[in-house]
Formats: sequence, C-alpha cells, structure tokens
Amino acid sequence: MVNKGMRATRRSISLLINLLVAFLGANVVSAQLYQGKQLVQAEAIANVTAIVPGEPFLVGIRLKMAPGWHTYWRYPGDAGIPTEIKWQLPGDWRAGEIQWPIPLKLIEPGDIQIYGYHDEVLLIQQITPSKNLTGPSAQLAAKVNWLVCEKICIPGEGTVNLMLPISSKNAAANAELFARFQKQLPKAPSANFSSSWKKDADALLLDIHSPDLASFSSLEFFPSPKESIAVGHPHLESRASDGARFRVPLDPSNSAIKTLPGLVVFGKSGSNPERSAWDISVAEQTARTNDRSFLGEFVRFLLFGFIGGFILNLMPCVLPVISLKIFGFVQQAGQSRARIFRSGLAFVAGIFVWFLGLALVLVGLKSAGREITWAFQFTNPYFVLGMSAIVLVFALNLFGVFEIFLPQWLNRGATAGASAHGDLGSFFQGIFATILATPCTAPFLGTALGFAFTQSATTILLIFTAIAAGMSAPYLLLSAQPAWLRLLPKPGPWMVRVKQLMGFLLLATLLFLLSVLGAQRGVSALIWTSAFLLVLSVACWLKGAFVTPAARIQTRVTAWAIMIAIVLLGAIYFIGDKFQQTSNPGSATLLADGWQRFTPERLASETQQGHPVFIDFTAEWCITCKFNESTVLETEAVRGAFSQHQIVKLKADWTNGDPTITKFLKQFGRPGVPLYVLYPGGAAQPYVFPELLTKNIVLEKLETVNHTIASQ
Amino acid sequence: MKLRILALSLVSVALAGLQAADSPPVGSAAPDFSVSDATGKTHSLSQYKGKYVVLEWFNPECPFVKKHYGSGNMQKLQGEYTGKGVVWLSVDSSAPGTEGNLSPEQAQKVMKDWNTKQTALLLDADGKVGRSYNARNTPHMFVINPEGKIIYEGAIDSKATPNPNDIASSTNYVKVALDESMSGKPVSTANTRPYGCSVKYK
Repeated sequence: MVNKGMRATRRSISLLINLLVAFLGANVVSAQLYQGKQLVQAEAIANVTAIVPGEPFLVGIRLKMAPGWHTYWRYPGDAGIPTEIKWQLPGDWRAGEIQWPIPLKLIEPGDIQIYGYHDEVLLIQQITPSKNLTGPSAQLAAKVNWLVCEKICIPGEGTVNLMLPISSKNAAANAELFARFQKQLPKAPSANFSSSWKKDADALLLDIHSPDLASFSSLEFFPSPKESIAVGHPHLESRASDGARFRVPLDPSNSAIKTLPGLVVFGKSGSNPERSAWDISVAEQTARTNDRSFLGEFVRFLLFGFIGGFILNLMPCVLPVISLKIFGFVQQAGQSRARIFRSGLAFVAGIFVWFLGLALVLVGLKSAGREITWAFQFTNPYFVLGMSAIVLVFALNLFGVFEIFLPQWLNRGATAGASAHGDLGSFFQGIFATILATPCTAPFLGTALGFAFTQSATTILLIFTAIAAGMSAPYLLLSAQPAWLRLLPKPGPWMVRVKQLMGFLLLATLLFLLSVLGAQRGVSALIWTSAFLLVLSVACWLKGAFVTPAARIQTRVTAWAIMIAIVLLGAIYFIGDKFQQTSNPGSATLLADGWQRFTPERLASETQQGHPVFIDFTAEWCITCKFNESTVLETEAVRGAFSQHQIVKLKADWTNGDPTITKFLKQFGRPGVPLYVLYPGGAAQPYVFPELLTKNIVLEKLETVNHTIASQ
Repeated sequence: MKLRILALSLVSVALAGLQAADSPPVGSAAPDFSVSDATGKTHSLSQYKGKYVVLEWFNPECPFVKKHYGSGNMQKLQGEYTGKGVVWLSVDSSAPGTEGNLSPEQAQKVMKDWNTKQTALLLDADGKVGRSYNARNTPHMFVINPEGKIIYEGAIDSKATPNPNDIASSTNYVKVALDESMSGKPVSTANTRPYGCSVKYK
C-alpha cells in the first residue's frame, strides 16, 4: 500500500519535471554581438518532444544572421571558414554528419566567389542517444564556431544547450522548420544521371548527363574539395538540353586529383529559391575514372581479363585441379609432340567452351532481366550438389574404381583412332578445371567482370574470351613447347600413386563442397546428399567391375541397367524428395565474435550516425574469403585494431545468393564475393579493399577512420 | 584579315575569362609589378630577381591576419627569412573605403605597433597587384624563387581557423616551401587552399 503510493508520487514528480522542461524549452541561445549589434544568434532545436532511449532523432543548429551577413557552407569558396559543430555528448551517444542545405553562391568584388547562407540556416545532424538512459531529462551541449562576414569578417563561437525530457514515447516537434530546411538538402542523383571526369592541363572537366535536367534553365556545379585543396571557379563550358560540361580550374601541381565531390545545382532560374541539387560525391565512388578513352579502357579490361584468367590457375580453388592437369601433361610427355599439342589444344578448347558457354548463359539471363553475378551458380544448392557428384566420380576414377571408356561410335568417329580418347579427356578436364575456378574471383577478374556486366553482349563475350585465353595460356605454351615438357619427370609406376593422391585432393574438394551445402541447407541436406553420393559410388564400382570391354554383352547391359536404375532411384528419393524438403537454416550460421549481420538498413543507420563501418561480403563456398578471414580479419592484431577504432563490423553472408547483397555487390561493380568495404565514418567515401587482404593493408586503412562525434 | 583578328581577340577574351578565377599556376613566372610601400618607396618584382620573394596579402582588420600577427607567428617568420636574404613583401589590396585600407601613415603605425619584420608593406589600393595574382584571401601567400617562378601558392599553414592556439600544431606551408627549395629539393606541397577573409577589392 505504502509502496504503491510512493511509486505514484515518484511518477508524478517525474511528470512534473518533464512538463517543466517542456514548457521552459530550456534551450540556451547564444548570440554574437559586434559593436552593439547582434550578428549571429545560434540555437539548438530538436525535431522531437522527448528523447526515447536508443532512438535516433534530429537536432538542428539554427544560425540567424543579421541582414547582409553570411556564414559558410562546408566548402567556403575563395574565402571564409565552414561552420563547425562539436557536440559534447555522453560516452555512447553518437552525432552524425552535418546535413548542409544547398548554399548560395555569393560574389564579392574582385570576383571572389563564396558559398554560404544569408539570414537563417539550420544545420541538421542525427543524434543517437544511448539505449540506457535514466532520469527525467537529458541535456545536450554543442560548441559552435562560425565565421560571419559582410564587408568584414568576424569569427564567432558559442555553446548551445538543449534540454529534452526522456520518455518512452515522443512526438514530432518543430516540424515546419525541419521540413523547410530538409527540402533544401541536396539529394542523390536520379537514376538516369551519369557523370564523368576528364583531366586537362590546368583543369578538371566534369561531364554530366541526365534527361531530367532538360527543363532547368540554371545549372551550376558547386565543388566541395577536401580541405587544403584549392580549386578555381567552375565554369559552365557547354550546355546541352540534357547535360553539360563544367571546367574547374585546378593548379597543375595537384596532379593526383582526378575527381571532385560537389553538388550539381539546378533551378528554373538563377535567383529562384526553388533550387534542387544532386550530391555527386556519392555517385563518384563507383563512377569510372574516365581519363582514358572508352577504347583504351576496353583494351585495359581485356588485358585484366587475360591476367585474371591466368591468375585463376594459382587460386586456392583451382590448386587441386592444377596438380591433376600437370599430371596429365606428365602422362603425355612420353607420347609424340603432335599428340601432346593436340591434347593441349583440347584442354584449352574445354576452357574456352566453358567460358563462352557461361558468357552466353549470362548474356541470355541478362537479357531476361535477372540479377547476374559471378559465381552465382554456387549460390544454388543444386549446382553445388551436382558439382559434388562430379568431383566424387572423378575421385573414384583416380582411385581406379572404374575406367572411362568411350563409346565405340565416338572412337570410330575420331580421325586418329585411339587419340580421340585422350583429346576428349583433355577437353573435359579443361571444362572441369574452369568450373572449379569460378568461385574464386581473382583480383583483376573481378574488375573485368564487373565491367562486363554493365556492357553489351558482344563485350561480355569478348571479355570472357580474354579470361579463357589467360587461363589457357600456360597450357598452350607447355604443349606447344615440348622442350619444356621434357623438363617434367618421366612417366613410371609412381604415377599411379600420384593419381591416387590426386583422388584424395578431390575428396578434400568434395568436403569443401559439402560444407557449402551444409551451410546452405543444414545437416539433413548433408545426410541425403551423402546417401545419394554413396549410391553413385556403388554405380561407379559396378561400372568398374562389370562394364569392361572384355565383359560379355549381357553382363554389360545388366550392369548398365542396374547402375542407371539405382542412380535414378537414388536421385528421385534422396534428392527429389528428401533433399528437396530441407530448407535454408537461416540464421543457423553463427556469427563470430564482434560481427553483426549486414542489412542495408543497418549500414544506412550506422553511416548516418557517422560511425565507421567495415563490411565483409563473404560466402561459405568462397575459399578466398575464408583464407582472408583466418589469415587477416580474425588475427589478434586486426581484431584489436577494429575494436580500438570502434568500427562496426558487419558480415554480409552471400552463401545463398541473398538478392539484397547481390545488389550491393553490383553497386561496387563486383560480380561476387569476396568484397571488403570500409566506410571510414562521416561523409568520407567508402574504401574498397583488394580481394586478397594483407594485415598491412587493413591496419593501415583502419588508421584513417575518423570519429565524427565532433564533426565539422 | 579583320575577321581573323576579331576571332583571335574573341578567343583571347574567352581564355582570359577562363583564367580569371585562377591564380597564375605554380611553376609559372610570377607577374611583375611596380607599387609603392608605406614609406613611398617603389618596389618591383623584377628588381628582386636572384632572390627568394614572399608575397603576403595583408589586412590588419582581418581576424585571420590578427591570428598570425597577434601571436607573433608572422613576425617570427618574417624575421627568420629576411635574415636569410629572403625579400618579404606584405601587400594590402583593400580598396579605399573598405576594411583594412591604409594610408601610408596608418600603414607605418601598424608596422610599428605590431613590430613587423617584413621587407616592405606594399599599398595596392587599386588592387592591381592583387588581381594579377588573383589573391583572394588575407593572408594569401606566394613564394617566388630566384628565377622569378612561383613555387608555392596558398594558405600560410594547414589549420584553417581564426584560433591562434592552432598555430603550434599546424604545418607552415611557407616555411616548408622555402626550406625545401633553399636546400635544393622540390617543393612537396606547392598549392593549397588559402584561408582567411576575402581581399577587399572595389
């Protein structure tokens, strides 16, 4: 009874305080006086009536300037200093970047151009309060520094305070003010916008293009170079109905600068307040640097494709197969030069056929409007299952469980009799090697492919041809130059042992494929797959035992019938029925310590708050990813650096081909995983790491993150 | 013929228009000038050929200029480098009736009160020198080598604030450029964004 009464009293007291706080407004206004005149009045204003723990809200610093006086944009232009806001927030609160309204371009005598605000401006930031808040209210304080100029310039500073009640729910406040200034914020460019930068001796040239610009008579570019970089006045060099070219003078000593962030500002007329702007800083991050002609770029990508294809031979996924191929050459080293070269050609043909086939499928799917990415096959469990079956059959073949004899008609059809066997074998080996190579996007290959997916069918085909040429180059060379082949060891009984050893390597590959399936479909899927593989093994054994050229026809036919029957039944029962019923285990894959699941919303909210974010785009089947994780990301040094810089670690698991992740990969011009991206915090552009990480690269880059609790 | 001249002059006008917003690039020849200082003595750039010349745009009312003079930073630099044979010319391009425009007497008083150490304070009230260099800020710094080429153009240092407390932790680009060039090295940072008040042209 007493208890209840006390609780009631406490509740009413806190209510009273809340009311008091709300009525008093309690935000402290800071005014700058100069010779008896108020130049600037600064004040913090929230868009909510109360703080809900953990729930982000907006606070605007409103600067009211005396008539004729102005404060500055984030890039002040030829003179001036941007307004600076330093929040003094409790430990786990966060303040996001300043959202700058589109500034005015002001011109002073002597053609001094500056970017700033007259009369009134609201500099909005998102504040994320702590999840654990106690007490009736919270007080926020920020130190604001500005430079206000008319004919003369006066620096000003002030501390603004904002007192808000803490509550479990709140309502919107100051909606009109926020709406008015949010309307003036630059937006992301429209979807049909494209831009490119070219470099001149003493200027940067910006070409922009968008049909949406046609109806606007005024078109300007407001540059926003990073601090310490000086640029001249942007000049509208040419204007078409749906595009324009700007020339931005840049001192030749800034040779490293190839693009500039900034705003494309457009309106019905120059003085019309209804202006809009596109912030092209974000668009630039993925835009291709266009300092080369398209042809030059095209040749460069073909070259990358070739190099990437070559490197595919060295990637971990292909490693087991490499031994297989080398073994094949050793075997052939005892044969005639012509035969060796023919086998080499057949192998290379296999590589080409696979890549071109893949290209055609991609072109077909692309025209069908599907989201296509590299290694997309591996996100399909049935593809992985099929791969497992193929790998197992190859392994059993290497173990000597069965031999592959080609049908008579093929032998007869072949011109040189027995040689057809070797050629066809080489051909399929070529295909097999490339199938295994696809999930590893080698560093250059990723770039070439990312480019390819945005291109025409012809380009895709050409680039895939370049990749195939790169991958087959070493084999073609070896088979054309038997002198080098002679350096390889002589064939002998040891080859049988090597062959069997290769079989175990293939089993290891199988293990990897099964682990992918497990991650995609869970344990029961693994069991049913294994059951099917067992049936397949029995079929292979039947083949080896009874289907030999020496065996009687009836025996062979019976054996074939049984083989086909059990494989079919096994496939229908274990795969068509049992495997089919298994489902994606969803969140079954546990996240390692310190990692959180990636969602686009999560990324948006973290970056909006100015937090540095690292994203690991990975997949169970991606060996390069696993390699990077164990040798770099999960080492003590790198983990330590992540926590020291308070970087939010997000893991984007693409094992099952999550379409939202596919979209993100595409945004970065990448067709597949791995992809590592660091958002350094604030408005800084995300940094894309190379596909093969080293500790040094990561540690170095982590040093650059900036925490924007005190943001400019 | 006439048409060709007309076309040529149109082109050069257009080019001039393009260049208007741009300072003479680093590495190019510094524009020559001839202008009186606070004591009435005429200085030209060409008379200092063979010497390093620093041009410093100046406006005694500007808070950013006060930052570097109030703290003694500018006087120290002037003293150090004029001691090494550098010609240090401060230039006041404020037009008559604008902030910082100085009569010769006022200029001499500022130099005495602030104990400045430059070679001369040039009075460029018509803004001719300022415009030929496209000086936009006070302070806006140019360093010219003995061959008469601009080797540095931009801010005095790396912290663009009016706060004198930031001087200690900033990199002084003028000092770096002079030191590097004098010891025969190329200037590592040759162009930066100047900061400060706008130059008060008419």
